[in-house]
Amino acid sequence: MGLLCPIPIIRLAQALRENDQVLLLSDDPATFSDLQAWARMTENTYKQLSGSEFLVTKGVDN
Amino acid sequence: MGSVTENFGNANFQSESPLHASAQEFLLDAFLQGWANPSKGSFASKKAAIMLDQAKEQIASHLGVRVEQIHPVSNIQSGYALGVQGLMGLDSTLFYSAVDRSEIYALAKENRSERIPVSLAGLADYPQGEPNDVLSWQWVNGETGVLAGNPGNFQGKTFVDATAVSTLRQLPENWSTALWDSITWQGPASLAIFALKDSSIWSNPFPHTSPGLEELSFSVPLTVASAIALEAHQSDYTAAENLMRSKNEGIRKFLATEIGDVDIAGNLDSTLPHLLSFSILYADAKIVQDELEAAGFAVDSGSACSSANMEPSHVLAAMGLLTHGNVRMTIRLEHTDQIIDSFLSHLKRIVDVLRR
Repeated sequence: MGLLCPIPIIRLAQALRENDQVLLLSDDPATFSDLQAWARMTENTYKQLSGSEFLVTKGVDN
Repeated sequence: MGSVTENFGNANFQSESPLHASAQEFLLDAFLQGWANPSKGSFASKKAAIMLDQAKEQIASHLGVRVEQIHPVSNIQSGYALGVQGLMGLDSTLFYSAVDRSEIYALAKENRSERIPVSLAGLADYPQGEPNDVLSWQWVNGETGVLAGNPGNFQGKTFVDATAVSTLRQLPENWSTALWDSITWQGPASLAIFALKDSSIWSNPFPHTSPGLEELSFSVPLTVASAIALEAHQSDYTAAENLMRSKNEGIRKFLATEIGDVDIAGNLDSTLPHLLSFSILYADAKIVQDELEAAGFAVDSGSACSSANMEPSHVLAAMGLLTHGNVRMTIRLEHTDQIIDSFLSHLKRIVDVLRR
């Protein structure tokens, strides 16, 4: 929280290296659209839990 | 001998550029000769009226419309209101695309409206609409260069946003109003060209005393300079279009293979070749922009971290493109292969450092 682009996505990618699932909390207005593009480019999956909470899972759902 | 990272002067890849050299030459003369009010009866006024008529003839023929259809306007926001609000009736719905300009978003707020989403390629599926509805059809997106699909199936009235179009292209058959921006063809700023096809389906949205467009304010000298710039720019562009396409292709290839993890907007075959927008994963656009500036290259960006309101470009977000690390370039004739190679090698160096 309180971090602006591209920091939330950089921290997310770092955290996902060591974990299969990461809970991302971000109040940066750019995060939602950024996360969508990031998931497409890096072939990962996310689910929006609330306005500022996202559950990110390594890899693509089957 | 210089290395590839040597600077080749200051290269401007931003969307604005200085007035076209051929118009610079005539600008002072246009002000000296065309200062009078063209609608009055004095000798000076008649001279200004002749200059204006010639400029309008020239502009109309280069934009592919009839001279009586075009009207210079001194500000772009007024042009949007004339183009869109002028077509809206009491029961009209305004259809507009998610990548339309903020001026259209503002007009949509004031009217009954429906936003059309776009695909990853930036293309919209236009509805059929009712005869009284209005479609805002953005011909070319000024940020990404994406050329829109034909709005041919729409049954209502169509406003053509041609503010990113500088070349002679045929307007869609069902156009009702259209708007161009003089800066797109290296003409003077603060001048837009509004076109109205049929005044019977249009009403002036501004307070007015006469029903037509005679009361619109604009500068005759700037209109003359714009006409000269348009003619020169179109001939430059036609001669260089293939060259710009190959430069654009070269940059896209470099980004994909040498930098990697870059989200490039639109496909080259459906975009204008002088425009390019790309987003670099894990890079802060503000730092990229500042570092490029320090190396002598000016670029634009649609990322939030480099915008005043901290909101990313709604165009990137609507297309589902990465909104951070965005760089926008306008490729011009003066950008030689040497300049572009130098730019790309600086960019790669900057991104490599940022991603460490």
